[in-house]
Amino acid sequence: MASRSSLLKVILLGDGGVGKSSLMNRYVTNKFDTQLFHTIGVEFLNKDLEVDGQLVTLQIWDTAGQERFRSLRTPFYRGSDCCLLTFSVDDNQSFLNLGNWKKEFIYYADVKQPDSFPFVVLGNKVDVTERQVSAEEAQQWCRENGNFPYFETSAKDATNVSNAFEEAVRRVLASEDRVEHLVPTDAVNLHRKPRNTSTCC
Amino acid sequence: MAATTPPKVIFEHEGVFIHSNTEESDDQDLLLSGFLRILEKDGETVVEYKPLEDTVDPSNMLCAGKDSSSVVEWTQCSGEKGHRPMDQQLSCDTEWDMVNAVSFRRKPYTNGEGGLNHTNERSKWAFSFYVCDLKSISVKCEGWSYLTFHLRDGNTLPAVHFHQGGSEAFLDNLRKCAQLSECPDDEHTLIVSYYNKALSQSFENLLDDTNYGLVQKFKKDPYTTTLGGFSKVTNYIFDAFRGSELECQERPAEEMSDLLGELIPGLEINQQEEPGFEVITRVDLGARPEVQRREPVTVEDWTKHQDSEGRISNVTHLKHIIFKGGLCHAVRKEAWKFLLGYFPWDSTHDERKNLQKRKTDEYFRMKLQWKSVSEEQERRNSRLRDYKSLIEKDVNRTDRNNKFYEGLDNPGLILLHDILMTYCMYDFDLGYVQGMSDLLSPILYVMENEVDAFWCFVSFMEQMHENFEEQMQGMKTQLIQLSTLLRLLDLAFWNYLEAQDSGYLYFCFRWLLIRFKREVHFQDVLRLWEVMWTGLPCQNFHLLVCCAILDSEKQKIMERNYGFNEILKHINELSMKLDIEEILHKSESICMQIKNCKDLPHSVREILGFSAVPETSTLETSEYGILESPQTSPRATLRQDQLISNGHGHLRELSHNGCKVAFIS
Repeated sequence: MASRSSLLKVILLGDGGVGKSSLMNRYVTNKFDTQLFHTIGVEFLNKDLEVDGQLVTLQIWDTAGQERFRSLRTPFYRGSDCCLLTFSVDDNQSFLNLGNWKKEFIYYADVKQPDSFPFVVLGNKVDVTERQVSAEEAQQWCRENGNFPYFETSAKDATNVSNAFEEAVRRVLASEDRVEHLVPTDAVNLHRKPRNTSTCC
Repeated sequence: MAATTPPKVIFEHEGVFIHSNTEESDDQDLLLSGFLRILEKDGETVVEYKPLEDTVDPSNMLCAGKDSSSVVEWTQCSGEKGHRPMDQQLSCDTEWDMVNAVSFRRKPYTNGEGGLNHTNERSKWAFSFYVCDLKSISVKCEGWSYLTFHLRDGNTLPAVHFHQGGSEAFLDNLRKCAQLSECPDDEHTLIVSYYNKALSQSFENLLDDTNYGLVQKFKKDPYTTTLGGFSKVTNYIFDAFRGSELECQERPAEEMSDLLGELIPGLEINQQEEPGFEVITRVDLGARPEVQRREPVTVEDWTKHQDSEGRISNVTHLKHIIFKGGLCHAVRKEAWKFLLGYFPWDSTHDERKNLQKRKTDEYFRMKLQWKSVSEEQERRNSRLRDYKSLIEKDVNRTDRNNKFYEGLDNPGLILLHDILMTYCMYDFDLGYVQGMSDLLSPILYVMENEVDAFWCFVSFMEQMHENFEEQMQGMKTQLIQLSTLLRLLDLAFWNYLEAQDSGYLYFCFRWLLIRFKREVHFQDVLRLWEVMWTGLPCQNFHLLVCCAILDSEKQKIMERNYGFNEILKHINELSMKLDIEEILHKSESICMQIKNCKDLPHSVREILGFSAVPETSTLETSEYGILESPQTSPRATLRQDQLISNGHGHLRELSHNGCKVAFIS
């Protein structure tokens, strides 16, 4: 089964302007576009990668962050394997809103076991000098809210971006291992769809 | 209440009437209003009609009780229900109250003395049947549509009249669980064949996603408590219902499309048990006429259309040539002010000078308002703070590759920022919503003047306002209208999209929200917008632009068998690859094709503003019609008037249109 890979759906959430699209683009294309538009609607990009010997297709979903567009983005939460809660270290409000994003995600994604759902927290824009949120504050929030891994990233200079996404993948795979021990093996696993990486028409 | 699993509501429409006149008492032509629903019950699909039972005093809405019939708890509807004392029910379960209140508001008011106030009298008209027992449906039209259900056991149920529209939506939803094909001998009859149950059931299990489950969530929803009013809840319900269909997309949709690959042969339209039957919604549109576009309007053309005092003459012709070719850039600065309605066409130079003076004062008065807010004040004004913060972020992310906005500290950025902030003062309720900077940017680029750009933007926003409102009603309406048009134009493609759970055309969201601003190059946006602002050649022309783009992409989408995700990705990635002249050409051609069709569905006529008798003058109606929701369309109002004035007086439909729940469509 060497040609099979799993499709993992990861969703980036956070206030408008924290750098969700930039993080996605940096990770998938390794580019940073200073002229990038703010996202309208919903977009996604795929990236194939290998984590600890396992082939994975990461499907990264990027949404519009403004409150007004909630009804547009929330339908896309379902089926997510991991959620990247994103704020910008130079914007305290975006940090304060992390809790709301988490709540919104759990609610609309219809997560069965919210306590064990893999969240990863990203403090973006660490290249900026005027910080409003310290690493300690952010780490504390992560500890208190479910022991989430925390990454300080910069989409602009590529700091920690792949680390964050790879950690997301590891988290998913780890939680999946746990689940698979619990699920009877003959059950159809609708959650994970094996996909042929070899392209054929 | 013996149901093992609670039924889930697949479709619901209120304002469906039974004309309860019987032969014995034909003077008693009573109109009985009720709900028509499609339910999923223990794996079977059920159609259910229930007359409305209660007289509701709107003042009771807030204390509507938990056991009231509502969109949520259908379980109890199947059981017998006595009348309920509405006035004494006070529940502390606020979320439920709000949900119930919604359903209550939707009930029409009956004038106490009518003969239909008794539950028994009304409930005898209730009926329900399994779709697998349905043999055929007669579809007739008498100004409104009415359907008669014929069951396999030979029984025929009383006709249900869709006085407020919705018959097509009902049939569309029925099509999801049964195949409806037109009887070759009788165009008014649809033959029903039920899908292979085992297959559809496995489908059902696969989706593992029910409307019911979503609605159930109301109980736990942390957000509902923060919602301020009924309207928001209705919207929420809409989202919950619509959302659930969309939500099937995600991962399950992918799995589903695999499964569909096997299922599709069985889902194809013109075959199965009744070979040779046609689908009813097919209308023969005829060939697409050739249309010619022309060169842009030049300065010379433009000045020729002005009299000595500056009034624009022969506006009809001028609009026509702008529609056909757009404007040369040199004309735009002036012409856009007219096209957008900032300048009246019949104003003189002097009048416009005065107008501009007044508008300049007004602009700076509003600008001063936000400019003079101290930091202290701002700290106490979270809405202003939020608007400001997002505007600052978005201005830095709008058309930065355009010379007018590129680089650091470009004056264009400051103007963009200031106009958007001033717009917040102009319309504080709406404030700033993402997408608005995209709408302003080309206008400011053309005007090169803060005040003129502001007022032109205000005019443009009048057309686009509903897109950005809390409820996003404008977006919902447009997506529904677009779906209607696409179904007429290309049923096969529409069916394909439906099968990929993309029938709601979610992937067109960005197109519609900001009128293709992100889809074509900046210079082409200018062209597209000025063409659309002429209001020609029909109302809602932008929806035909969508159809034209989709028409060019459908082959790729279908041949490559794209699923929900791939369709979304494909459409998103069309951005900046579209040829504006080709699109405009095709859109106009499609418009002519539809216009030439003699038997257009009424819904399509309404969307495009074609009156029954074609009249050239009506083609120039403003675009504002687009923002009208189907429920409040003039046609629906007219029908209501007819209802009220039909002389019987047993039932009065009050105009509670405004609070009608959107998911019924």
